[in-house]
This record gives sequence, C-alpha cells and structure tokens, in this order.
Amino acid sequence: MAIGLTHYLVLAAAMFAVGAAGVAIRRNSLIMLMSIEIMLCAVNVVFAAYSRLHGDLSGHVFVLMNFAVAAAEAAIGLAILVEIYRLRRTVNVDELKTLME
Amino acid sequence: METFLFYLFAALMLGGAVMTVASRSAVAAAVWLIFAFVNAAGVFALLSAPFLAILQILIYAGAIMVLFLFVIMMLQSPVLPAERERRGLGKLLVLGAPAAAIAVIAIGWLARSGVTAFAGAAPAEGGTAERVAELLLNRYLLAFELISIVLLVAIVGALALGRKEEDLPWQ
Repeated sequence: MAIGLTHYLVLAAAMFAVGAAGVAIRRNSLIMLMSIEIMLCAVNVVFAAYSRLHGDLSGHVFVLMNFAVAAAEAAIGLAILVEIYRLRRTVNVDELKTLME
Repeated sequence: METFLFYLFAALMLGGAVMTVASRSAVAAAVWLIFAFVNAAGVFALLSAPFLAILQILIYAGAIMVLFLFVIMMLQSPVLPAERERRGLGKLLVLGAPAAAIAVIAIGWLARSGVTAFAGAAPAEGGTAERVAELLLNRYLLAFELISIVLLVAIVGALALGRKEEDLPWQ
C-alpha cells in the first residue's frame, strides 16, 4: 500500500491527540507548553500533506506562518512562566488558582 | 523505500511525542521533544518540502527548544514534587486510551474508504527555498508583513514581562 494523504492525516491526528492529552494530564506548566508545540507540529504536517496533494506550495507558506506563531507563543508563554515563578515559586498549575477562587 | 521511511519517521516522531508527555523531568521532556521534531523534519522531507524540513530543525529543534531548556535550567525545578511520586501506569493508561481510540478509528477508516493517494510521483523540485520565497514575497506579501508584526509584538511583550514593574516606561 503506497503512502498517501490518509497516512499523514492519521499521523497528524495521533500527534495532536498526544499533545492534547499532555495538556490535560500534566501539572508542570513547562511540559504543558511543550505539548502545545506538539499540537502545532501536527497541524504543520497536515498543511504540508495537503500542499503535496494539490501540488500547490501555499501550504508551505502557512507552515512558515505557523513557525512564527509558535515562536511567539513560546517566547511569551515562557516569559509569563518566569514571571509567575518569580512571584509564586512554582510552575505547578494546581497551585496557581488565585483567579479561580 | 518511501513506505519504510514514512513508518520509521512517523513511529519515531510519535514515540518522541509520547515520551515528552510521559517524562517526569522537564529536561528529559525537552530532549525527547527535540528528537520528535527532528523526525518531523524527516516527515516534511518525505512530503517533498526540503525547505520546511531545514526550518523545522533550525527553528523548532534549535531556537525554540534552546529557549525551553534555558528557562527550565533557570527555574531549577525540572521535576515537580507533586509529580514525583506518581507511577507511570495511570499516565500510560490516560495516554494509551486516546491513542488506541484513534488507531481503531483510523484502521476502520482505512478499511472502509481506502487510502487517498497523492496524484502522480513526487515533484522533482518540491518546496525549495526559492519556490516558497517566490510565493511568500508575491502572493502572500501582506501575510508575511503581518507575521513580522506578530513577532515584533511578541518581542516587546516578552521584554515588558521580563522587566521590573517600576522600570517600565509607562509607570
């Protein structure tokens, strides 16, 4: 069976599910940020696969956009995390519930 | 050959992602994530996107993960005390359940509708830097400029978050 679009879509779905599970079950906010990166990477695979299907490079351009968004998200997310750590001395999301109470 | 490489890269990438989520230590998670991203670059190369493969390694496995490791080292708490005692079994179940569900759905889907094949052979050129840049700087010039503004705002935001409050210009 030759490798087709379906294989890449299944791969991306599995990758996305792993990332979503990571956000759901981990309490370490650093690893939650990494799980978000995993989900973004899964989206990139879908973009590239459809780009290959249609023989159109527009998908690659949007993967580049996604790279920039991921970089911005990591930079801001980590800056916020460092600030939270400075104030509260923890990165455990279970202990950061001041807004919830 | 392509089939073999696809399954190799896909398995290593998924394995790296699962290990990222399952590792107790944040440093181990970051290293596994670098491994997963390097294999994602292989998947891009198989999709005839060599430029994206190189950028994936440069930006993701390089820049972003160095930033992550830097922050992990700075915070000096790679393993959370709250997560230290938890054994792997429950975590494995939580991770395994959605993966198994997806595998079952995927196999059912493949059995019912077959594989959507890519039309024709892989293009000889594919997404080289030259051809992607041609699109990026003509048809998608506006999006390109807008994304640079996103990056600029991110830089300013990260700087503003990192400074002491009384040092900010609007205080």
